[in-house]
Amino acid sequence: MAAADGEIDPAQRLLNLMLALSRTRHRLTRDQIRASVEGYETAPAGVSEAERGRADASFERMFERDKKALRSMGIPLRTITDPAHQDDLGYRIDPDVDMPPLDLTVQDAAILAIAAQYWTSKAMKADARQGYAKLVSAVEHEDGPALPFGGVSTSGSADVVAALAEAASLRQVVSFEYASASSPTRVRTVEPWGIVLRSGVEYLVGWDVDAAAERVFRLVRVQGKVKPRGEPEAFDRPATLPLGSLADDADVATATIAVRPEAGHALRRRGEVVGADDGWDVLEVSYRHADLLRAEVLALAGAARVIEPADLARSVREHALAAAEVARG
Amino acid sequence: MADTSRDRIIRMLGMVTYLEANGPTPVAVLADHFGVSADAATRDLWALGTTGFPPYLHGELFDFDFDALDEGLAVLTESLGVTQVRLSGQEAVALTGALATLVAAGTAPEGAERLLERITGAFGGSVPVTVLAGEDGPSADVRQALAAAITAGRAVRLAYVDANDRRTERVIEPHRLVAIDGIGYVECWCRKADDYRTLRLSRIESADALTEPVSHAPSQARGFDLERTFEATVVLSRSARWALEDLPGAAVTVGDERATVTFGVTDPAWAARRLLAVAPQLVSVEPAALRDALARHADAVLAVQDA
Repeated sequence: MAAADGEIDPAQRLLNLMLALSRTRHRLTRDQIRASVEGYETAPAGVSEAERGRADASFERMFERDKKALRSMGIPLRTITDPAHQDDLGYRIDPDVDMPPLDLTVQDAAILAIAAQYWTSKAMKADARQGYAKLVSAVEHEDGPALPFGGVSTSGSADVVAALAEAASLRQVVSFEYASASSPTRVRTVEPWGIVLRSGVEYLVGWDVDAAAERVFRLVRVQGKVKPRGEPEAFDRPATLPLGSLADDADVATATIAVRPEAGHALRRRGEVVGADDGWDVLEVSYRHADLLRAEVLALAGAARVIEPADLARSVREHALAAAEVARG
Repeated sequence: MADTSRDRIIRMLGMVTYLEANGPTPVAVLADHFGVSADAATRDLWALGTTGFPPYLHGELFDFDFDALDEGLAVLTESLGVTQVRLSGQEAVALTGALATLVAAGTAPEGAERLLERITGAFGGSVPVTVLAGEDGPSADVRQALAAAITAGRAVRLAYVDANDRRTERVIEPHRLVAIDGIGYVECWCRKADDYRTLRLSRIESADALTEPVSHAPSQARGFDLERTFEATVVLSRSARWALEDLPGAAVTVGDERATVTFGVTDPAWAARRLLAVAPQLVSVEPAALRDALARHADAVLAVQDA
């Protein structure tokens, strides 16, 4: 039985398609889907070739959209080829798509509601909202506790995150224009392995297909849209995401820094006062990244100076000289 | 809220799951739970009544007590054994990424970490998102003291170092712990400033709860309310633009060798410090007010720093 009485809502058609494909024993072909699933127009009888062609094309477009919609909902639609008729594609949904029981409490739902509000960009917001609705489906409706917590992301690249998260989940290759620090803007083709979030900055770790190497991409540098390339399940993601340059594995060194009394509070908290020098307190501070420590000393605008190591001291002075030159023209 | 097909199909599956778990439920409650109007919820339930398995005969459609539904009560009589579907990868990234960000920022409610583990575990542990702690996370003591004081409705005495390295003692009335772009803050009424403030947790050196109750209600405004004094335009070599590109509202134009970044400046001294970090890569700085601040900072450093 197919719909004869006009179009039904796309959501209802999708649900019918999902149910039909999840209960079929083997598979359903496109023709079977078109003939049996409520919501699709059957092939019209007794019309001209041209009209039939248009109806067929319209079904194909609708079915392609629906396949994509189900996949993007996290419902893997498997393509099953009949060994006897290779051209004759069939489809099935495996029975493992149900939400596993999580037995969430009202408190859990309240925490999730805060997390779901974190994203403000369109695509991430929709993903969070839909994930939240799925997770709290079975939680009994009660006024949850008003939790004094919150969060918000103002990131302009969060929708890039959403597109890459989808591609990484589907294991689909993507391409995007990327303006790197060191080379001209060009299109990168990447197997997206995983998103990394650190202090509000978003990264992608993946395999750069052209460079044939692991790469870390800073997502604020992605320009324009992320485009999927080819079919899902095109590669395997590594079990442990290699963090590359994001790994905090730099060696720890010690610097000797003089700070004015009542200044350099952050340095004092991390370091140890080891002496005094003509009205300055002398600290020993351990650090991993010289550029971060240099920025911290520079930011103190004369309330701190580097004693050791000498190359750090020199680099602080060089930065100040360069700044003075740019500022005075 | 833009109601997409995805929203609707998730909600319809959600209603079946909810009713299966919780029994007959007023439509108004169901509507509230899924964040739609009672009319929309009623339409969803009626649509479910004509949805199911081919060939859609009796016992192959979701079924309700439709007389009860007319009275505003949802009673599911046939669920077809169907239940909510698992999270998609991007839904898992959005939710667990946000939860883990709140945890890393020190602004997650009690129980968030365990919840995060359960969701990730249910997803097979393969959610393609990793959240790393930042360089300067808040101290656990400060975080706990503030969370406890918020719950108890008590004022707190803070030792706080502001962005200009000024250390102050102040009494605040803490309202909420919030993560803004992955960084943890406390929203509060500050008795010293006699105004609402959003203070960065990692700059709080100590927090001691007082017995005094809070006297000001939380502000309705969220996050920062900073006045921009001017718009800055900085040209620098493209390899140095990381220093500026994450500034809120920054617009970056990238050329072959150089990048041009425009951003709003509230505090010229603060912006000057940011520029100092990449000074050798700077090409030009506008307007003059920002150049002056940069020159003052550079001179102050040169006065004390031997090579």
